[in-house]
Amino acid sequence: MAEHATDRLVRMLGILTYVERHGDTPFSELAEHFGVTVAQVQADINALWVASEPGDSWSPIDFSSEAYDEDVASLVRNDGVTQVRLSPREAVALVGALSTMGAAGALPEAGAQLLAKLRDALAEPVTVVGDDQVGAEVREPLVSAIDRYRRVEVEYVDAMDRRSTRIVDPHRLVVIDGHAYLECFCRRAQDYRVLRLDRIASATVLDGAIEHAPTDSAGFSLTPAFRATVRVGRAGRYAVEDMPGVAIEDADDDVVATFDVVDAAWAAGRLLSVAPQLRSVEPKRLADALRRQATAVLDVQR
Amino acid sequence: MPVEKSQRLLNLVIGLSSTRHRLTRDQIRDTIEGYEPLPYGASDEERRKAEQSFERMFERDKKELRELGVPIETVEDPVHGDEIGYRIRPAEAAMPALDLTAAELAVVSIATDYWRGAVLGGDAQRTVMKLASSAEHGPRVELPFAALPSVASEAFGTLVEAVADRQTVRFEYSSVSSGAGTRTIDPWRVVLRAGIAYVIGFDRDREAPRTFRIQRIGGKVRTVGDTGAYAIPKDIPLGALAESEDVSTARVAVRPESGHALRRRGTPAGVEDGWDLYDVAYAHGDSLVAEVLALAGGARIVEPKTLADAVVRAATAALEVEHG
Repeated sequence: MAEHATDRLVRMLGILTYVERHGDTPFSELAEHFGVTVAQVQADINALWVASEPGDSWSPIDFSSEAYDEDVASLVRNDGVTQVRLSPREAVALVGALSTMGAAGALPEAGAQLLAKLRDALAEPVTVVGDDQVGAEVREPLVSAIDRYRRVEVEYVDAMDRRSTRIVDPHRLVVIDGHAYLECFCRRAQDYRVLRLDRIASATVLDGAIEHAPTDSAGFSLTPAFRATVRVGRAGRYAVEDMPGVAIEDADDDVVATFDVVDAAWAAGRLLSVAPQLRSVEPKRLADALRRQATAVLDVQR
Repeated sequence: MPVEKSQRLLNLVIGLSSTRHRLTRDQIRDTIEGYEPLPYGASDEERRKAEQSFERMFERDKKELRELGVPIETVEDPVHGDEIGYRIRPAEAAMPALDLTAAELAVVSIATDYWRGAVLGGDAQRTVMKLASSAEHGPRVELPFAALPSVASEAFGTLVEAVADRQTVRFEYSSVSSGAGTRTIDPWRVVLRAGIAYVIGFDRDREAPRTFRIQRIGGKVRTVGDTGAYAIPKDIPLGALAESEDVSTARVAVRPESGHALRRRGTPAGVEDGWDLYDVAYAHGDSLVAEVLALAGGARIVEPKTLADAVVRAATAALEVEHG
């Protein structure tokens, strides 16, 4: 039995509360709702049944045995036993994730209703500050196109500031580390792509249906080209601490960061802002990109 | 036959919820099914062993139930000497009736993915089960949304609990402005901003509210002193984390077909030598400088001069960096 005792306790209390609220419930429905087998539902009900108050004099929970024989949970008595509230960590985990999806611009409508219910029931357990600016004029056509399996035309500005118009088969909105992305199939690239939502300038639903179905394997992935090692003074630490897959170690008055580089020019652009604190950059590929970008900047800014 | 642990925990919850006043440790051991009552006529040695094993078991059960969100209160009763008793107030322990729809429950599952593999992952998974008790049953709802794991350290979980418990914490912190050192704070609130976690609290040594980026905490967060040690102010200063107000305006020249983000934010201010001019509001000069640098010649700052100089300084320094 790998199941943790507290997880089982939570499910048992859940089954009890569910039956109390919904009335007689077939075991099969409980099994589906709580994601376990019918045999497990029976075992949980048996455990609730034999629960006892101190002194073993009184059973606070009683089910009908006739209904039990017909695989139905029917509550005869429940003396105030109920599901327990969310712990502080659980509340932060749930409200934090929902609000982050909302701030990133990728919270489904049902999520907004859920968040409102949770905020009514719980003292606001965490503050979430929005950063991305994804307007409804971008999000709504995308969600509508996904729901109706339609193609969309998007105007996209990539991380290297290249602007393009693409026709994509939209699949899903994904939030990762606080930012929202559109998973889609891009007709121009003839491949699956992930577009950052706050870089989509406009989205128009087209008449045509999508032709490429979402795949589990071609979902969110950014394949790093190489791993870089950078030594930077403490004051410049902020520029490296968001790098993908970063590991940072203290080294006297500096830090040494190693991280994944997908696009050398993009990483070099990030490092430029802390160039006065940079001590060393490896490999040469990244150092060359840094030099090239710096030269290009100095050509125009004097 | 020994009673299963989940059964014992259930009996303990029922026992502590139904007691009129409180249950002492002895009462818990002797009356709640699942614990071993002291053997009758046992030797002193046997009694001592049995007591120790009960203590260990009960402490662990109490800790796990509290982590689950069950508010187990400690009740002292001067009439009965110093012996401590325990109880649960049912109204405080119960999950409020939320009446969720099937679609709302589906969103809970998506949201919990956000923490998968991170320190709050187990807590998030449990919310699905807890909220399922309050949700309608319906066909599985598929939503075209997803959330992917975020990084949250053990420090994050400890701080969330410290805020709930009003307990002072101490940790090693390295900051941009004041280097590395030990901080002692009364944590007030955990804040998430664009996937990055912060804690705001009262810094005991600096005697002022401070904001800490949780990722910059090195090692463990330790709790110091008792729970309920301070009050959390009603209005917590979000400081720089609040949506910052734009305070200054810079004029930026943008090469045709580039600087799209600057163009979207700025106000057109004419054309100069084939470059488009924009007035862009900014709160932090550093971030505007970083943005212009990252455009690699696609934009330059016309004024103020301090920012233009910062661009030149950074690019010049970049030419002198060692490489491997």
